[in-house]
Amino acid sequence: MEHVPSRRGFLALAAATGALASLPAFTATAAPQRPDSLAESGTSRNTLWWQAPADEHSMIEQGLPVGNGRLGALASNDSGRELLLVTDATMWTGGLNDTLDADGQFPYGRTDFGSFTLLARLTVDLPDHDLSAVSGYRRTLDLDRGVVTTSYVRSGVTYRRELFASRPDDVIVLHLTQSGGGRYFGTLTLEGTHGEDSSRAESFAGSFPNGLRYGAAVAAYGSGGSVEVTGSQVAFSGCRELTVVVSGGTNYAPDAAADYRDPSLDPEALARTKVRAAARHSADTLLHTHVADHRDLFGRFGLSLGTSTPEQRALDTWERIQARARDGAPDPELEAAYLQFGRYLMVSGSRRSLPLGLQGLWLDGNDPDWMGDYHTDINIQMNYWMADRAGLSSCFDALTDYCLAQLPSWTDLTRRLFNDSRNRYRNSSGKNAGWTVAISTNPYGGGGWWWHPAGNAWLCNTLFEHYEFTGSRSHLERIYPLLKGACEFWEARLLTTTLPGTSQDMLIADSDWSPEQGPLDAKGITYAQELVWALFGNYCVASAELKKDSGYSGTIAALRQKLYLPRVSPTTGWLEEWMSPDNLGETTHRHLSPLVGLFPGDRIRPDGSTPKDIVDGATALLTARGMESFGWANAWRSLCWARLKNADNAYQLIVNNLRPSTGGSNGTAPNLFDIYQVEQGRGIFQIDANFGTPAAMSEMLLYSRPGHLELLPALPDAWAASGSVTGAAARGGFVVDLRWQDGRPTEACIRSGGGRTTTVAFGGTSRKVSLSPGQSVTLKDFAR
Amino acid sequence: MRSPSYSVLPARGLRAVFVLALTAGLATAVPAAHAVPAATPASTVAAKPYMGWSSWSMQSSKYPGLNPDGDYSYLTEANVLKQTDALAAKLKNFGYEYVNIDAGWWRDNAWKPEFDQYARQTADPVRFPHGMKAVADHIHAKGLKAGIYLPVGLEKEAYNNGNSPIWNAPGCTTADIVYPDLRTTNGWDSAYKLDFSRPCAEKYIDSQAQAIADWGYDFLKFDGVGPGSFKSGDQYNNVADVAAWQKAIAATGRPIHLELSWSLDIGHVDDWKKYSNGWRVDTDVECYCNTLVSWENSVNDRWDDTPGWTRHAGPGGWNDLDSLDVGNGEMDGLTKAERQSYATLWAIAKSPLYTGDDLTKLDDYGVKLLTNREVIAVNQGNTPPARPVTPSDAQQVWAAKNPDGTYTVALFNLADAPAAVTADFSTLGFTGKAAVRDLWNHENLGTYQNKITEALPAHGSRLFTVTPRGSALTTTGYEAESTTNTLAGNASVAGCSACSGGNKVGNLYLGGKLTFNNVVVDKPGTYLVKVAYVSGDARSADVSANGGGATSHKFPSTGDWGTVETVSVPVSLKAGANTITFDSANWYAPDIDRIDVPKSPR
Repeated sequence: MEHVPSRRGFLALAAATGALASLPAFTATAAPQRPDSLAESGTSRNTLWWQAPADEHSMIEQGLPVGNGRLGALASNDSGRELLLVTDATMWTGGLNDTLDADGQFPYGRTDFGSFTLLARLTVDLPDHDLSAVSGYRRTLDLDRGVVTTSYVRSGVTYRRELFASRPDDVIVLHLTQSGGGRYFGTLTLEGTHGEDSSRAESFAGSFPNGLRYGAAVAAYGSGGSVEVTGSQVAFSGCRELTVVVSGGTNYAPDAAADYRDPSLDPEALARTKVRAAARHSADTLLHTHVADHRDLFGRFGLSLGTSTPEQRALDTWERIQARARDGAPDPELEAAYLQFGRYLMVSGSRRSLPLGLQGLWLDGNDPDWMGDYHTDINIQMNYWMADRAGLSSCFDALTDYCLAQLPSWTDLTRRLFNDSRNRYRNSSGKNAGWTVAISTNPYGGGGWWWHPAGNAWLCNTLFEHYEFTGSRSHLERIYPLLKGACEFWEARLLTTTLPGTSQDMLIADSDWSPEQGPLDAKGITYAQELVWALFGNYCVASAELKKDSGYSGTIAALRQKLYLPRVSPTTGWLEEWMSPDNLGETTHRHLSPLVGLFPGDRIRPDGSTPKDIVDGATALLTARGMESFGWANAWRSLCWARLKNADNAYQLIVNNLRPSTGGSNGTAPNLFDIYQVEQGRGIFQIDANFGTPAAMSEMLLYSRPGHLELLPALPDAWAASGSVTGAAARGGFVVDLRWQDGRPTEACIRSGGGRTTTVAFGGTSRKVSLSPGQSVTLKDFAR
Repeated sequence: MRSPSYSVLPARGLRAVFVLALTAGLATAVPAAHAVPAATPASTVAAKPYMGWSSWSMQSSKYPGLNPDGDYSYLTEANVLKQTDALAAKLKNFGYEYVNIDAGWWRDNAWKPEFDQYARQTADPVRFPHGMKAVADHIHAKGLKAGIYLPVGLEKEAYNNGNSPIWNAPGCTTADIVYPDLRTTNGWDSAYKLDFSRPCAEKYIDSQAQAIADWGYDFLKFDGVGPGSFKSGDQYNNVADVAAWQKAIAATGRPIHLELSWSLDIGHVDDWKKYSNGWRVDTDVECYCNTLVSWENSVNDRWDDTPGWTRHAGPGGWNDLDSLDVGNGEMDGLTKAERQSYATLWAIAKSPLYTGDDLTKLDDYGVKLLTNREVIAVNQGNTPPARPVTPSDAQQVWAAKNPDGTYTVALFNLADAPAAVTADFSTLGFTGKAAVRDLWNHENLGTYQNKITEALPAHGSRLFTVTPRGSALTTTGYEAESTTNTLAGNASVAGCSACSGGNKVGNLYLGGKLTFNNVVVDKPGTYLVKVAYVSGDARSADVSANGGGATSHKFPSTGDWGTVETVSVPVSLKAGANTITFDSANWYAPDIDRIDVPKSPR
């Protein structure tokens, strides 16, 4: 048996499915399109600001993120010393990791499985601009333009610094200007963080033991004065303005057949080419090119949740976060800006490269907790729940590209290793087919930690939802092999059992662990039953839509009919997590695995179509899980409450996530990153809540499934007075613009992005809408 | 000095014990000891905080190369003369005047003491081969003043079985100056306590004073003094020693500045003011580590430990915050921001400004810090010391109102990360515009409305002169003892002669709570509520409005339980009636006298 798929085999698979391998992440790009002119001025509501820079030792809580979807940085914005911690999404140690541990599970270390790590550090030292010597310091993050600005006054001169990461030019740009006759004197240093030779000032190169090559380069040019290389630094002296351009990357390629490398790519040389090409343009040209590109994507979704008070507006962002928690008064503009910040992170961190992991594109060191990896038992899925709901469908593609690029390897690992006799989760039938994943995955086709049988279904369901939102047939064609392979896996894995007291044969999942608690060997866990039930349904839709494999689709539909679905425990009154009336885990456990059919699935609906005892059991379980978890766990709870139309609880969980994080406590850091307290006094960044919380906010304003769309299903009092959302995608292939006043929609514009018919409901009434693709209709006069 | 070989417990341990021994405010309240005018003994001694150099920081450090012949071996004639010359060359023009020899001048490098036939400390011939007078002569020749050091009591090794005669005191021997039971005293128990009921004891002090006067010294650091120096109780009460020294100095006819050390008991502040020219308010600033000092051990203690003493500083006697080691970042062990904050606090607290740095190795930034004439003027001018006008939180503001109507205002960020710090002009007592000058940067920043906010680095500071161009603040006062307020837990009204209305609310501990009801304002916003309170030690209270989230604020010590001070606390109020609550939560809060709420928000 051939274990490693040959390149030929992989290409054949790609050709058969229409799935195209993406371009390497770091690659030569066509000349950017430059805008003729620039419509300027972002709205102040989408501008965050602070009155102090970041501490170099607290960059993850205080540094401001920029990114072009691949190349990112956290910036300190200190007047006397700008520090950029530069990342590339593909900067990973580790590899295929296909030697199982003695327990049949995957090793999970920084060398075998690997870790996301920093690419470079860039420092710009301005000795005369020590923070103690400047006045009027301020820094802002303009979400609309995608620009971080720092300004201050030194000896009567106003100094200003703009920082952005441009996708068209594939560089990070730092532009230092002044007004009032000032000059810049100082040095800049680009260096690696893995012990590379840093004797050259303008670039460096390195490679990991796994063979990944990487490199970065910097160019600087000023007006007036001089810029010259002195040893390992670039010194500038007497410059009226200064532009610093940085690029870098790796030779990662999303191609299993090529062992995920492009051997012909010299990252250092490419980085040098890129910074030189960018440096041929003025900083203003680079800025305008970037802003046009950023705005084109960021501007596709608008949100107003009401009006904040002048007192709230007068506070800087961190004061405002603190005041929101202390005073308890809603701050609708801050809350809307929090959602928009999540969108900013997605635009900055998920374009044409690897998808967003546990920390997205941003690191403050080389050893992020849990490797900064892809966790498939909630975290990577949550990262992308927001994308379609908030007008960023194109950012979703990074997840699709990733799964497709990993599929050959995931298939190979499953075939070779899943039924290893030491693996407690192996198929007891001895059968094996298709693919699945581990709880952690890396970009080299490898898994880490434990096998996660149902992870394949959850990934597929997430990918399928993107099809439901966009109606994109080409997307459906691309993900079809993933769906089919996952179905094959479950076809082999499901066990037939006869329920006690009945003669009915049911299909249940083999031994598994309900993430991440309770027994390790439970059969028929609700988590797996729900995910597979949804997977099988999605596959049948895909098969019909693509007119493929109708025979196999029939097989899957029949299996689906026989899937056991969870009951309500007579003991606890909760929807069962295990096929047991007993609570075998922690009552307030962070995961809501048994509620996966409530959200993101929607098998459990409070609209009368689901038996009342099931809805009540789900509600009781959600209630028991409590309101005081953290980050992503609160976001998931909020989404479930939104599905149950409980606006108060859904909103309170959002408010809980907005609590200021101090001393590492759970909540929102000064830079709005979500912080999870791993131990007393130590908090870490977990980006999923920065996406999950906005997803919940969106879900409170608009619920959709194919054929049905509900306006303001869980609108909290705090946002009820007036508001609007534009550009929200709805499942079924529509895009919705919505205005409301006094808790009631005043106008809803439904545009078809491919969808044809749907009902549009508010309160107790609904209307049927029929549209051709591209058409729209505006609805008014909604009854209470 | 705190010589580690003597120190029994670290400073922090002892301080914790001290705090734990306290009970609720009212229980330990003592009558207001009204501040007496600062004594001004002997002509112009200590008319201003003294400035100079001291040897101890380098002696106490493990910094490579400083003490090659064993601990504290830096102290030699050669080194003192070298530092004298450097002081004269670099700092004298800026007011630095004293060259102070610290502990060990009478000890060899093994720390073995040497005494003359009269039981008086005598120069170690290796350290000071030409004796102590020659050193003072050299210092004087440079136009500077000379300082020397002695511990309290009769050093045990000087006792000589009671057989040594006392100089110029016929019939007196060392047996006649101590207690028959040879009880020990001072911060290290290194000496026998002098019994001043016996006339010979004073003669011994006279003999020591005459010796240092004869050598030509202008300054004495008198160390290990109690109550203080981590000691309390009769055995360690050295008030009589200090009084005898004042008298003895007067008798020599030579003006000699008498400085007391260390961590003096504030309960005896009237004694210190009466008999001395300055007193160390805290433990050693030195870290006894590889640098001279470190931020955490124990520069940053001073922000909490100084405010209780502030009102006692004045001409004739000053609050001594210890050496100012900011001259060389690498040797000091501090960041630039920390060094500026260190110098700022010392300047505005009107602490003596004596550096312990190697003056031959000052770095450029150190020279700037030590020679900034505007900052030195704050310290040396005819202005009062500053004290906190906000709570002692991570970000805090200190201020003093100057005789010319301006304010000295310092912003501090004691947090480990950069933060914005705001000085609201209403905390100074006025509203509207003010001109702001940045003293460290010699720059007029312009005119500001109602407040100035600056970004400060971690452990950073700014120092301003604020010139009001607005109007006086109008406020509405609410008395804590008003019957319209709500008391919870053990909270109770108590008499307080220094308090407005003659009463305060105390016993705010372990859940005790005071709520002001019906605080009325016209506009919503954040108000800087001026809180008048009494607290013999620094205590925290959770402050909240209208039952909302509380913010914990630390109220600096008022020095005793009979003195009222104020700080301003930001409170978010709505238009109309509000409640404001001071909650002791699970610990001890200050006693509250009253609050004054400005008419307008921030």
